Amino acid sequence: MTKYANFLILFILLGVGVLLKDNIHISTNLLSLFATQESVEKLTIANNLGYSKEMLIAVKGFDKEAKKELREISKKLKELQYINFVQSSIVPTQEIQEYYKNYYPLLATFNDTNITQEQVSQKLQALYEGQLSSVFYSSIDKNDPMGLFKLNNIKNSNVSHKGEFITLGEYGYLIRVMTDISPSQMREAKELYRDVHSLLSAYPEAVAFAPFFYTVENSTKIQADVEWIIILSTVILLLIYYLFLKNIRLLSQIVIALLSSMVFASLVSTLFIENFHVLSLAFGMSLTAVSIDYLLHYYFHNFYEKREFIDKNVLYGYLTTVTAFAIFSFIPIPLIAQISSFAVLSLSFAYLLFTFVFPHLGVKKQYRVEKVEGEKREKKAPAFLFFALSLVLFAYSAFNFKLDSNIRNLDYQNLHLLESEKLFKSNNTTKITPVIVEAKTQDKLIEQLHQLQLLLPDTFSLAAFITEQESCHKRAERLQQYDFKNLNRLINEEAHSIGFREDYFKDAYGFVAPLAPCRVAELDIFQTYGLSLYKERDRFYTIAFISDVKKVQNLPYITHINVKEMFNRSAQKMYDDLLKYGSIVLIMIFVLLFLSVRQRFIYAINYILFPLGLTMAVVVSIDAINIMHLFSLIILIAIGIDYGIYMSNSIKPSSTMLAIKYSLLSTFAAFGVLVFSTIVALHSIGLVITLGCGAIFILIKAMK
Amino acid sequence: MKKALLFLLLVSSVFAQSYNFTELRYSDAINRYTLLEGKISFLKNGLNIQYPKSSRELDYKDETLSYYEEEKEISLPQVQVSQMIQYFEILRLLHSGDESELEGMFEVENQADGKILKPLGAIKNFISNIVLKKEDKRLQNIKLFLQNNDTISITINDEIR
Repeated sequence: MTKYANFLILFILLGVGVLLKDNIHISTNLLSLFATQESVEKLTIANNLGYSKEMLIAVKGFDKEAKKELREISKKLKELQYINFVQSSIVPTQEIQEYYKNYYPLLATFNDTNITQEQVSQKLQALYEGQLSSVFYSSIDKNDPMGLFKLNNIKNSNVSHKGEFITLGEYGYLIRVMTDISPSQMREAKELYRDVHSLLSAYPEAVAFAPFFYTVENSTKIQADVEWIIILSTVILLLIYYLFLKNIRLLSQIVIALLSSMVFASLVSTLFIENFHVLSLAFGMSLTAVSIDYLLHYYFHNFYEKREFIDKNVLYGYLTTVTAFAIFSFIPIPLIAQISSFAVLSLSFAYLLFTFVFPHLGVKKQYRVEKVEGEKREKKAPAFLFFALSLVLFAYSAFNFKLDSNIRNLDYQNLHLLESEKLFKSNNTTKITPVIVEAKTQDKLIEQLHQLQLLLPDTFSLAAFITEQESCHKRAERLQQYDFKNLNRLINEEAHSIGFREDYFKDAYGFVAPLAPCRVAELDIFQTYGLSLYKERDRFYTIAFISDVKKVQNLPYITHINVKEMFNRSAQKMYDDLLKYGSIVLIMIFVLLFLSVRQRFIYAINYILFPLGLTMAVVVSIDAINIMHLFSLIILIAIGIDYGIYMSNSIKPSSTMLAIKYSLLSTFAAFGVLVFSTIVALHSIGLVITLGCGAIFILIKAMK
Repeated sequence: MKKALLFLLLVSSVFAQSYNFTELRYSDAINRYTLLEGKISFLKNGLNIQYPKSSRELDYKDETLSYYEEEKEISLPQVQVSQMIQYFEILRLLHSGDESELEGMFEVENQADGKILKPLGAIKNFISNIVLKKEDKRLQNIKLFLQNNDTISITINDEIR
């Protein structure tokens, strides 16, 4: 019965998982892992305001052909699903024109001076003569023949244009499309992506770009990349275990134990840790492979056959690694904290399984210890030499150290899309920046937008279309006091005597009554200008396009939406936190190592310092250090601790070295293969682990 | 001889096409007609209209409109400029006879001697419809019916070049 304990544990864990499946919560919001809570909230608001839902399509040139393409593409786009509106001209939409008509007396400037009969006569006479003598046609405004109202042209600084058509600087015509796609809607994003590209395939001169293109293209690439990495990793792992251990039974027990450890850690993490991310889960699972060290050490030292209660070296290795990850689990970087918590749980569970369950499984040793050169100490270099070399490598790394704070660099480098994005950015002549404006009430929001307009006159916001409540009510009062009835009578009398057609002006100034309400209800109509209103938890938000962020950055109701800057700030904080916690962990490791190895401290510490030093020196020589490099260095520390302790305290170095060799190979299979990935984040992890494994290999071969 | 003919063909396609025209406007406000005579030239990036009798000229090039009286440039109110640009764009389009572009902007009704165009976009706020008359497959008359009951009728008299 005890032979099946390993399987039984896995089934029990899976059963618990099935029972508690409704309580398991896994987050997929990538932003929450990298940006601060505040940044995530602001970006969510920006998304709700349509900030990242825009798609741009540029048609090269301004000739007849380009205009024809522009019309055709616009027309076809309107027929696609998930498209909210298509804008290629600055001509207001039918809804906005209707709005202008209704709100004209409140929006237009109003000259409320009293008009005399003589003035009426002069004006009408001029209009009459203009009709007969002007070489170009001009219509007479029969509603406002005196020209008392004047609606200034609304300067839409959000777009540049030639004639009525929107342009992308001097590149060509531009189509702005508002989609219904938010960054998390993968299925819809893929459908729209496919439809848009199939539509544009007939127009080779047209270029399209939307933030969701990255979601579609990168996720496909990442998926393909990860799939092949997983296959490669599995094949290498199975090969290693089969060829070297030649023990299928052991292999199956290892796989079951690792699975149990992963399931245990996954259950505890997703049940008790808030917003546990799927990425942390994936990394955590890979990290569980580190626990194979324990098994290999036991296996090659006949631990299971001797039936000893505990192996001090493995215990020290486990405790040091787990303490390091326990400290990292308090770091305020969600990704690293989550992975570290997972590692503590899975490594502990694996340690318990390998130490207390495996001796009862009847695992028998089936290998011959090859004659290793472990005993040829005279040919090896002394430990202090590697210690000194490590310090030199650290010094070199420190002098050439450069941090990459652009988190986007970690993603798959989609050169084709980056090129398209650059085309739109570099040709955009409207140097304006979107900012979020917020207030407790809609009225206060409009008031603040008008304040912003006064500070920066070329601001484009809802203030261009909506007047403040106070000034609106004042205007309504002025209009009610003005004697339009008398003016209408004068106009009609004079028009008749000048020779205008009978009753041509009978409705003059009739449009001032009744007035539209000052509080505008239909704000959705301005979405075509990229201006929308969003309400969340009793606060109102909108977007304003401004020319100078510095001038208004101290205003409490303004937030500058700069994704790059938000991530840079987060990244900088991450590096600071990592440095702080990394130092604590290193000090702790030094102390624990000293306690467990005493006189061979320098020898043991080299298993941490040399791989770190060598890896950092190589990485800084190739590129800037990113957050994933740093994170992998932590994994490297975890691996190094175990080997340092095993090697320092080993009574039988040949078996220890063999265990470490297999362990290194399995680590390479789990993490090192990521070096073949085209995604920078994964490649970075792979590079560090591969270099680290190489460094450890040098140590076991060359250090005495 | 062949070379000369080829040269003539080339020249006629490179240079602008110019026509003498008569413009008859009806103003509903004053219930009267006005007659104007001028010369219109369709250029690569715009058009030019001259009224020799009153020494006035309108030049529309690269989306920019300039107005001259006695060869002196006079600035026009923005509202009027926008209206004129829209009007000129329609004239250019009608002259080009680009079917696909016409159908993008108008509902086109073909008739035996021409077409009736009903605006689809924002211009329908100003124009009710446009009637085109052809003679020997050549555009002879354009009549614009405006929303305020005014009409503008342009008759092509002869092609200058």
